[in-house]
Amino acid sequence: MNTQQAKFILQGYRPDGADAGDATFCDALEQARHDQVLGDWFAREQSFDAVISAKLSEVQAPAGLREAILAGARVTASGTPRRIWWRQPAWLATAASLAVIGTVALALWPKQAVADNALTEFALADARHSETHGGHGRETGALQAMLSQPSTRLGDQLPVDFAALHNAGCRTVSLGEREVLEVCFKRNGAWFHCYIAQRGDFPSLAATTVPALLDRNGASLASWSDPAHLYVVVSETGRTALEKLL
Amino acid sequence: MVSDMFSQLVDAHYTPLFRFALSLTKNSSDAGDLTQQTFFIWAKQGHALRDTGKAKSWLFTTLYREFLRGRRRADRVTALEDLGPVEADPPAPEVDIISGLDAGLVVEALQEVDEVYRVPLTLFYLQDLSYKDIAGMLEVPIGTVMSRLSRGKAQLRSALARKESGATGKVIPFQTDRAKRFP
Repeated sequence: MNTQQAKFILQGYRPDGADAGDATFCDALEQARHDQVLGDWFAREQSFDAVISAKLSEVQAPAGLREAILAGARVTASGTPRRIWWRQPAWLATAASLAVIGTVALALWPKQAVADNALTEFALADARHSETHGGHGRETGALQAMLSQPSTRLGDQLPVDFAALHNAGCRTVSLGEREVLEVCFKRNGAWFHCYIAQRGDFPSLAATTVPALLDRNGASLASWSDPAHLYVVVSETGRTALEKLL
Repeated sequence: MVSDMFSQLVDAHYTPLFRFALSLTKNSSDAGDLTQQTFFIWAKQGHALRDTGKAKSWLFTTLYREFLRGRRRADRVTALEDLGPVEADPPAPEVDIISGLDAGLVVEALQEVDEVYRVPLTLFYLQDLSYKDIAGMLEVPIGTVMSRLSRGKAQLRSALARKESGATGKVIPFQTDRAKRFP
């Protein structure tokens, strides 16, 4: 092994000594011990690597990121079926009966048709950690501007091209295997969080162009849909603020 | 309810994952999103991983794949592999000087390294994964990882020299990688 080959190997040796037991480095390390020039080079290389590692370790994750991850995982886990007891005939029959009752209730009271439970829970949890939002692309800017316009009412047709927004860098989060876009906008001095999902991903949801409202843990939520999309807007400044957008 | 195991996994890895994401995205918000997204995927399918000892590699690999999925820049990566030989030990500031630099400035220098070299280089400096792990994660031979580390360090030294010169107001010679590559 010549000096250049030894350098090539040794520059992959981590400065914390974690590779000390790796046989790949043994010969090169041994050579560095006997070759003064190579040894000096290796010492400088390790010092350089150590200081870069130390600098990198000074970078801290944003406040709230840990909590946002745990909250998001909690919702994701709740949307994953873990047991199949409900597939037994008796439970299926009960569920079918409840579904009929539910359908009738929804027909009689359409404004209660709130978005898919997993989606609303996710939106409420995610909105609580708005400090981690960001990364909106240019196309998102147009939608954000429209949502910020005082004349735009929730339930209006919005200029949404899901794929274009996604490709432009709009913040995208996963809910199960479904993707949901998120756009923050400001109205009347308050921030709102608009979540956009594709209707095809939530086939069980009843279509409603009239926003339905929901209050949960101090946050308020409005949801509605158009033929292609499902919308959920979350406000943490109270129901009154949200109602002003209707 | 989120399991204790998941909480422990988040506590152990979310910060290094964020640092890795920051070097990729060059943006704190996007890095936070990417880190979150990685753990969402774990929550969704990570339980299928039989060997929990491989969780760290799995998380870094998943984060990187999610980044690539969003970027789709495979062509650029291929093109950068065709560059010429590595410049031998380009001039870099003394270690004492680098120690005195702000961590943000050092991260900025790291972010100036071409992506194809920056990925293994950042993983190397995070010290969480061995070069063998990095090779497995990137699905490239070990020799390729070593080569990318070597080139990445050369670019990092040049970037640090520029940062250090900028910080002290020195005039730097017109002898940068970019100038050489695009005459």
